[in-house]
Amino acid sequence: MATIASSFSTLIFSSLHSKLSPPSLLSSPHTSLSSSSSSSSQSSLFSSFLSISPTSLTYPTCSRRLSASTFTVKASAAEKKKVLIVNTNSGGHAVIGFYFAKELLGSGHEVTIMTVGEQNSDKMKKPPFSRFSEIVSAGGRAVWGDPAEVGKAVEGATFDVVLDNNGKDLDTVRPVADWSKSAGVKQFLFISSAGIYVPTDEPPHVEGDAVKASAGHVGVEKYIAEIFNSWAVFRPQYMIGSGNNKDCEEWFFDRIVRKRPVPIPGSGMQLTNIAHVRDLSSMLTLAVENPEAANGKIFNCVSDRAVTLDGMAKLCAQAAGLPVEIVHYDPKAVGIDARKAFPFRNMHFYAEPRSAKDILGWHATTNLPEDLKERFDEYVKIGRDKKPIQFEIDDKILEFLKVPVAV
Amino acid sequence: MASLVAVQQQTQPSLSILPSSLSDFNGTRLHTQLQCKRKVWQTRGALQVTASSSKNILIMGGTRFIGVFLSRLLVKEGHQVTLFTRGKAPITQQLPGESDQDFADFSSKILHLKGDRKDFDFVKSSLSAKGFDVVYDINGREADEVAPILDALPKLEQYIYCSSAGVYLKTDLLPHSETDAVDPKSRHKGKLETESLLESRAVNWTSLRPVYIYGPLNYNPVEEWFFHRLKAGRPIPIPNSGMQITQLGHVKDLAAAFVQVLGNEKATKQVFNISGEKYVTFDGLARACAKAAGFPEPDIIHYNPKEFDFGKKKAFPFRDQHFFASVDKAKHVLGWKPEFDLVKGLADSYNLDFGRGTYRKEADFSTDDLILGKSLVLQA
Repeated sequence: MATIASSFSTLIFSSLHSKLSPPSLLSSPHTSLSSSSSSSSQSSLFSSFLSISPTSLTYPTCSRRLSASTFTVKASAAEKKKVLIVNTNSGGHAVIGFYFAKELLGSGHEVTIMTVGEQNSDKMKKPPFSRFSEIVSAGGRAVWGDPAEVGKAVEGATFDVVLDNNGKDLDTVRPVADWSKSAGVKQFLFISSAGIYVPTDEPPHVEGDAVKASAGHVGVEKYIAEIFNSWAVFRPQYMIGSGNNKDCEEWFFDRIVRKRPVPIPGSGMQLTNIAHVRDLSSMLTLAVENPEAANGKIFNCVSDRAVTLDGMAKLCAQAAGLPVEIVHYDPKAVGIDARKAFPFRNMHFYAEPRSAKDILGWHATTNLPEDLKERFDEYVKIGRDKKPIQFEIDDKILEFLKVPVAV
Repeated sequence: MASLVAVQQQTQPSLSILPSSLSDFNGTRLHTQLQCKRKVWQTRGALQVTASSSKNILIMGGTRFIGVFLSRLLVKEGHQVTLFTRGKAPITQQLPGESDQDFADFSSKILHLKGDRKDFDFVKSSLSAKGFDVVYDINGREADEVAPILDALPKLEQYIYCSSAGVYLKTDLLPHSETDAVDPKSRHKGKLETESLLESRAVNWTSLRPVYIYGPLNYNPVEEWFFHRLKAGRPIPIPNSGMQITQLGHVKDLAAAFVQVLGNEKATKQVFNISGEKYVTFDGLARACAKAAGFPEPDIIHYNPKEFDFGKKKAFPFRDQHFFASVDKAKHVLGWKPEFDLVKGLADSYNLDFGRGTYRKEADFSTDDLILGKSLVLQA
């Protein structure tokens, strides 16, 4: 973690040695620098450094950049912000705004959460919206409205920071961005998606990798970068956490507690990233509290471990204290749409949160084995294990595979 | 009895460039040259901070793969480097692409201590006679090989060990991180036991855990396995789905990491995974090898290994599972960063080794023919 001494010595180096650039993700060129190669010993100005002269070598050695871990945590951590969260009213991302709002309030910031649509709509009966009283009782404000008319929904309030956790394309986000700009919002944050990465032979997806040009989120990311002086983009994958609007681990629990086989498409070796939403919330909070560091950056908003699809089924079973029977199938052969049959992508879908670790000093806390126990406890507490469920698509798959199902 | 081929030493206050590497010495106790541990700042207009001055370094091994590159880096840095080997392989070999001048320079400076590291008495006596500052243990496999070294060098500044990511316990949660559970029953348990021994002794140790190492002179047929097939225009048989994820690390990046932990406080009693920054699927690796070597995209055949009996032969050079480790710790703590991405690294290996007609193992397509002959192909 950064120390004041580190940043002090960084300043000294910067002023005396023009070749050094401020700490950033980019490597410094492989020129012959006689200064430190890394973070070693930067805490003391008088300790020695390892000096390597690369020019005489026929092949390059280590990068000469300053350590990425010597980021500076500035005084703005103490500055309280007024944050507006424009939140989606459904889907897997809805829970992000819920946790983020509560974390910001816990840190002493002012929060307004604007949910798209009407307060009395049926969608608001589901979590996390059904629990918005938690935001209000923590001192936050909950409003409803149209992203095309944010000013109206917030009734003229001003904000330092806006997070758009709603739009997937420019049509939906542009009005929010434009309003924010005109209303003097200093920092604009956007929840994008790791789904925009182009599939690769070389996982994981890291920030800077090619994205699908046609993806709606990409248009938004570009627009935000153009119009804001301080912005950051977050690309999540899947989440678990109390208050989730969309099934994740529940899909596995539903089958495991009913002693039904768990049908997984393909080999089951596909890697995915399932994070506890608190990790996404902490990353966003760090960005709010360190706007200079976060500025202009893309962050994969995921935990630091991937899990295989088979692995997730096994971990859910372990959390439930029950056995699991996994069956694999080829969706094409069965004649079904894998997206309807299974809640995760039938391919490696695996991003790593490298920028957040490098730049924000963020750390993942997701611990699937432990977190899933808590999730299972809640699953049982709300009585979902007893709920009658139809498994039509499962049955079709199992029939095709001639796998018996105990009634 | 292994002979003690020792070295003339001159006491010098700073960098030591020794003239002759192979002069005999009659067994008198050597005293180490004076060391300046810390140099005072020398301001020469710009800030210039130099390293602790040259060290008297022993490399266990060093004539086969990693050590070949590491020893060159260390010698170039001005350290006095001795290789402890049985002398079966030439002490120095000119690297492909290495100039005659560089090779001559290196050969004149590298020192050799001939012996069998399993002869613990000899190890102890020869090492204590010389008194090295730092030991790089590149070829150690068992903990009992390490104890005599530590016993011989009570003032050792650092013991730097080449361990392996193979020590990690197989898991569904990846990548492996240095804090993950290790497997005391793994094939690499000797490495684990060595790390434990180092931890238990009062020595400053550092352990690096590579995954699959590749690069010119690789004696493990990793990239070579693909290159043989690509050159022969043969399909590449890959077990099961081909989406298993593995990770390759270039030997030069590993050597650089070994140098970077030398005398580095941040490396004290630390373990670091060292490998490539990106991982790769088995299918992707076949494609990357083709791309790097300029071959057309290969025909990949998937098969179920359970349907074959390959006897003692290995049909595929990688473990049939996901196996990769995060190198974030080395990047954050040491500021280390690999220079080679996969295709660039494979091209380096190809251009300096296989592409020049050199390789370690003859092509053996017998298991391929079994697979292809049976025509049992797994649907993707």
